[in-house]
Amino acid sequence: MAPRIQSRRVSNALLPYLTSSPSSSSISSIPSLSPSSQCLARQFSATAAPQTKLRRTMFEWLNNEGAALKHHMPGQTNYLRNPRDSNEGGGNRPFPNNPNFISENILSEELRNEIYERVVEKKKSVRAVSVQLGIDMKRIAAVVRLVELERRQRAQGKPLALPYARAVHEMVPTTPLAQDGERQQFHEPINDLPAHPTTGPQIFYPVPESRSFTRVDAGRVFSGAPALEREVAEKITHPSDLAEKAIENPNSIDWVGKGENARQVLQPADVRIPHPQLVKLELDRAAFPEERRKVAQLHAERMERQEKVETERRERAQSRREKSIKHVEPEGGRFDYRFSDAVFTAETTGKDGRAPWAPGRRYGVPTNDRKRGVVKIPTRVEA
Amino acid sequence: MVLRIRLARFGNKHSPFYNIVVAQARSARGAKPLEVIGTFNPVPKRPTNLYEENANARPYKEIALDRSRAKYWLGVGAQPSDPVWKLLSMAGLVEKKPATYEKA
Repeated sequence: MAPRIQSRRVSNALLPYLTSSPSSSSISSIPSLSPSSQCLARQFSATAAPQTKLRRTMFEWLNNEGAALKHHMPGQTNYLRNPRDSNEGGGNRPFPNNPNFISENILSEELRNEIYERVVEKKKSVRAVSVQLGIDMKRIAAVVRLVELERRQRAQGKPLALPYARAVHEMVPTTPLAQDGERQQFHEPINDLPAHPTTGPQIFYPVPESRSFTRVDAGRVFSGAPALEREVAEKITHPSDLAEKAIENPNSIDWVGKGENARQVLQPADVRIPHPQLVKLELDRAAFPEERRKVAQLHAERMERQEKVETERRERAQSRREKSIKHVEPEGGRFDYRFSDAVFTAETTGKDGRAPWAPGRRYGVPTNDRKRGVVKIPTRVEA
Repeated sequence: MVLRIRLARFGNKHSPFYNIVVAQARSARGAKPLEVIGTFNPVPKRPTNLYEENANARPYKEIALDRSRAKYWLGVGAQPSDPVWKLLSMAGLVEKKPATYEKA
């Protein structure tokens, strides 16, 4: 039979394509397969495999440009580089065709240990450390927790994935800790603010030219609140005045709407940013350009006052929470019981007893948690 | 008819969750009760072991209870079921139920 003989010949003729890379030992081992199995595999195929050209170019690339990327240089990124890009050295874009993807710095070992030392051992506030090192407050808190965990694991003699950590730190960009006399490189912008969903709609709001219209008024317009009284508005010299008020007394922020639609009036960005104190600091610097010591002292005093108020409030809330929860430890049981107070009245459960915010599970309301298209993961972030 | 303070099971398979309810004794478990006065999560929660002081803490079960409503319904003669009796006695609203057997 002709086809069988032909197929055997073709399969033999195709083999050199697989061994286009002479150096690789694993590929060159293929011809040692028994001839009978090859004959079975390619019995009726007379065409060359379609990816041969691609494979050839791949091996070409691996032997030329790709060879440089085979081993990384410690302390430098080992990313593909766009050949049209002229700038040499490192680069933080791993995907040459996607310039918007930037591989961000991670904290170096020394920097994260420094964060832990400042927060836990020197008892500095998370806010102050965040401003000093230019690291987000959430990241500071996470670092403190993780270093704590690492220390405990070390103390317990548990294994750590150190070779992995070392390899990652060698290959991705890191933010180093400043040496003595150097200026600390900021890790990330710390005062960024996500766009608030209330500011989404475009509102046409005519204002007479004679009236002053600031960020405070814009926030009230966006949240549908009536304009401020003139006497109150005149007292606000700068929107950051409100920040101090909001920190010292969060209940000073007005509410609009009723029932389910009740919401706080949108505050200007000066109030909502993570570090509103820095605005005041900058204003002070502009007001007293020559007196750096005085500015620093004013800032320190302000920070101290606000931190005191904040800790007091946190402690009060914590004690209130603890007072409302009753701990019971029954004898001979494996578990503790925590009784918290709940209020089941017409206000908390709604008129029909089925309000979505009522404590407990609902009657006559399907849970819908298995329905298609019901999104269970959070779809919005509280700004 | 007898009023009972009892548990009504909610939650999915293998993840029970109970409302503590006041209902007519002979009504179905899933029927709409007279009133919901609390919740009981029987799945023990473990305190996070991130902090030293939590390392040896025991797991706990969470109960939310409207104490004033519970007192009212006990006052008008509602009878707690055995599991609810246990919870209410821990909350200090009723005496502990005497055991029907003596421990050796």
